[in-house]
Amino acid sequence: MFGLLDAIPTQMDYKGQKLAEQIFQGIILFSAVVGFIYGYLIEQFGWTVYIVIGGFTLSCLLTLPPWPMYRRNPLKWLPAQDSSLDEKKQLEKKPKKHK
Amino acid sequence: MNTALSRANSLFAFSLSVMAALTFGCFITTAFKDRVVPVNIHVSRVILENVEDFTGPRERSDLGFITFDINADLQPIFDWNVKQLFIYLSAEYSTRNNALNQVVLWDKIILRGDNPKLSLKDMKSKYFFFDDGNGLNNQTHFLPYVLHTRSNRNITLTLSWNVVPNAGILPLVTGSGQISIPFPDTYKTTMNY
Repeated sequence: MFGLLDAIPTQMDYKGQKLAEQIFQGIILFSAVVGFIYGYLIEQFGWTVYIVIGGFTLSCLLTLPPWPMYRRNPLKWLPAQDSSLDEKKQLEKKPKKHK
Repeated sequence: MNTALSRANSLFAFSLSVMAALTFGCFITTAFKDRVVPVNIHVSRVILENVEDFTGPRERSDLGFITFDINADLQPIFDWNVKQLFIYLSAEYSTRNNALNQVVLWDKIILRGDNPKLSLKDMKSKYFFFDDGNGLNNQTHFLPYVLHTRSNRNITLTLSWNVVPNAGILPLVTGSGQISIPFPDTYKTTMNY
C-alpha cells in the first residue's frame, strides 16, 4: 500500500528525530500562547484556532520532510562482513551443540 | 518519529491536545462571569379576550394580547466564549389552580455580530398568551378576595436568556428589571399604560 511512499527516504537519524520533536512542540506551544492572548484580547476564539492551525501547518512544513538538518548524525554501522564466511562458521558450530 | 507518517501522527496528536487545553482555557476564563444586564420592559397595551381554546378542553379560556417595548444593551454579555444568545420574554402569574404559571410570549436569537442593543417598540407577542382557564382576568382571578385586587399587579414580565458558548456550560440568566402589570377585569376592552 505504501510502496510508493516507502521508496522515498523519509528517515531521520536519532538526533534529528529529537530535534524535529522539539521544533514542532515549540512552534505549536508558541502559537497556542500567542493565539490565546490574541483571541482573548479581540474576544474571538476563532482567531485562537486559526493561529494554532497556522502553527500546525508551519511545523508540518518544517518537520515532516526529512530536511538535511535532521540527517547530520547518521548511525555508524559496522562494516559489512562477508556472508559466505558467516555461513561456514555456523555450519561448523552446529554439530558441536548436539554432542 | 522515524518516518514521515509517524511524525505526522505525533504532530497531529500534540496539536489536538494543545487545542483541547486552549478550549478549556476559554471556558475557565468566562465560567465565573456574571451575565446579568439591566433590562427595561414597558407594556403599552393589553387586550384580554375569552375564546375557545381548540387545543384543550372545549371551554372558553382567557387569551391575552400584549404590546410591549424592550430596551436593553446586551453587549456586556458577549465575550469570546459566546456564540449566540437566545432571549425570551416570559410572563409569570399565579392563579387559583396553579401557584406559578409561566408563558413564553416572545423570543429572539441574537448571533455574535448582530446588533446587541435591543430597542424594540410596539412589539406584538410571537406566541399566544393562553391561560388554561380564566386566570388572566383580574376580576375572575381575585373573586374570592376583596375588591382592592383590581389594582393588583398580577402578571410579571421578565426577559431571560440562554447563553450559547463555544465550550462549557449553557447558562440560563434572567435580566434584572421586571415589570408587573394589572390585567383588565373585563373582556375585549383595551387597557393602555
